[in-house]
Amino acid sequence: MSRVIFLLKEAMISLRRNILIVIGAILAVFISLSLALGALVVNEILRLNTIAWQEGVHVIAFLNDEGENGVPLGAHEQLRTEIETWDEVESARYWDKQQAWQEYQELFAGQEELLDINPDILPASIRIELTDIDLHSNVRFRLEQQTVSVRQVATAAESIEQLQSLSSVLNVLGLGMAIVLGVAAVVLIANTIRLAIYARRDEVSIMKLVGASNWFIRIPFLLEGMIEGLVGAALAVFAVWLGTSNLARAGESFALFRLDVSQAFFFRWGLLFLVFGAVAGIIGSMLGLSKYLRDADGTGPDVPTGF
Amino acid sequence: MIRLDNVTKVYEGGTVAANDVSLDIQKGEFVFLVGASGSGKSTLIRLMLRDEPVTRGKIWVAGKDITTLPRWKIPYLRRSVGTVFQDYKLLPNKTVRENVAFALEVLGRPQSVIGPQVDQVLELVDLADKAARYPRQLSGGEQQRVSVARSFVNRPPIMLCDEPTGNLDPRTSVGIMKLLDRINRTGTTIVMATHDHAIVDAMKRRVVALEGGRMVRDDETGGYEGVREPEPEALMEEVPDE
Repeated sequence: MSRVIFLLKEAMISLRRNILIVIGAILAVFISLSLALGALVVNEILRLNTIAWQEGVHVIAFLNDEGENGVPLGAHEQLRTEIETWDEVESARYWDKQQAWQEYQELFAGQEELLDINPDILPASIRIELTDIDLHSNVRFRLEQQTVSVRQVATAAESIEQLQSLSSVLNVLGLGMAIVLGVAAVVLIANTIRLAIYARRDEVSIMKLVGASNWFIRIPFLLEGMIEGLVGAALAVFAVWLGTSNLARAGESFALFRLDVSQAFFFRWGLLFLVFGAVAGIIGSMLGLSKYLRDADGTGPDVPTGF
Repeated sequence: MIRLDNVTKVYEGGTVAANDVSLDIQKGEFVFLVGASGSGKSTLIRLMLRDEPVTRGKIWVAGKDITTLPRWKIPYLRRSVGTVFQDYKLLPNKTVRENVAFALEVLGRPQSVIGPQVDQVLELVDLADKAARYPRQLSGGEQQRVSVARSFVNRPPIMLCDEPTGNLDPRTSVGIMKLLDRINRTGTTIVMATHDHAIVDAMKRRVVALEGGRMVRDDETGGYEGVREPEPEALMEEVPDE
């Protein structure tokens, strides 16, 4: 027990004595991990929105009014029933003029000048969910053949495809960035530890002189690296969490795009980043220590020369 | 306690610092290694600490062949050998007490053992009243006493001292020698490298003289005389003007 306390005390002394270098290392870990976690969050937001769009309506067929321009009464329901029989279609819902007006009012609530319209100009529509998003062009083509009933076809598929390809680019980019920045964090910690050892070289040589084992000398430096990695990672997780929740709150007003990344996501990745920070700290320390202690093994404590 | 068998040490660059040295030091002995600068005294001390590997030959310390000792076992050797150096090697940011306790802390001794043991050894070196001071607040002699206390606090069977009085005036040096003598009387084997004539002559202990890495004399109770050191006048002529 006294050994553990001694080692912790030594690590704390070193952290305090090299405070500027330590802050530098913590900031380096913080910045690298914030950027990496930020990339993950952006990716998650895109994924959430892709899912939301994918789960919703994929194709909307806006309809000409029944009883006008040669559209017979009952044509809307007939078309909907027909569409539902198509292989590409999962479901087709009828959306009458009343519902269209309600939706319009919700979408533009508070914008009086836009609400000042004749509700009758809003068309009824059929909202179609596809079995597979990739089939949207087939469905669009088939709908466009219904020239009498169908006024216009709108599809979210292009946007979804764009989002999907953006998401995969960001995935690769995020992963690449996480790797580069992770390595940068490790190298910076290695550097810090090397400086810390240099600052404490007399102490280390005296420790070797009085018979401290190499592991005993290493542990305070490993603890120091681990603490730097952990603190940097914790700050990064906190900062990205804070940023994202503020963004989500600000984004509540434009409900079309989801920004509400779940707490579970932060918990899972936060934990992983903390572990990564600690491991990066330990690896960095090992790298920083290896050269010095190998040299020290060869030459031992710095005894005066002049044989 | 310590045995050297035909030990040779050649440094990189070809300097021969120890040349076929054989020596047998018994338990409880006090041995002076004497010789001019460059005669190989410090090298022998470093070889006995496994601070340097031997080029040829064998060294036994406390019954163990240290020339074949695996690297990870070197700390265990050093725990049974106390060391005192000319430059004290104290940690400036630790107090006297902390410096001495450090030697026990790195061995993982519990505080309940460290406290009394440090008190006892500080009593022995007569520094109990200065336990809370920092090295910079002490005289050279006092700093060396702290260094002796640190090397002896673990009660090692062997102490290796490399010019422990090298930085001290004669009166202070006598104080350190009295301390080492007391430690030696507890049964601790002491090997001390020095070129302090007065001390060697006064102590009347075993003297091993070295010259150019070679052992030239081994007297049971010798003095410093007989050690060939160049006269200052001769040196003045040898060393070219700047």
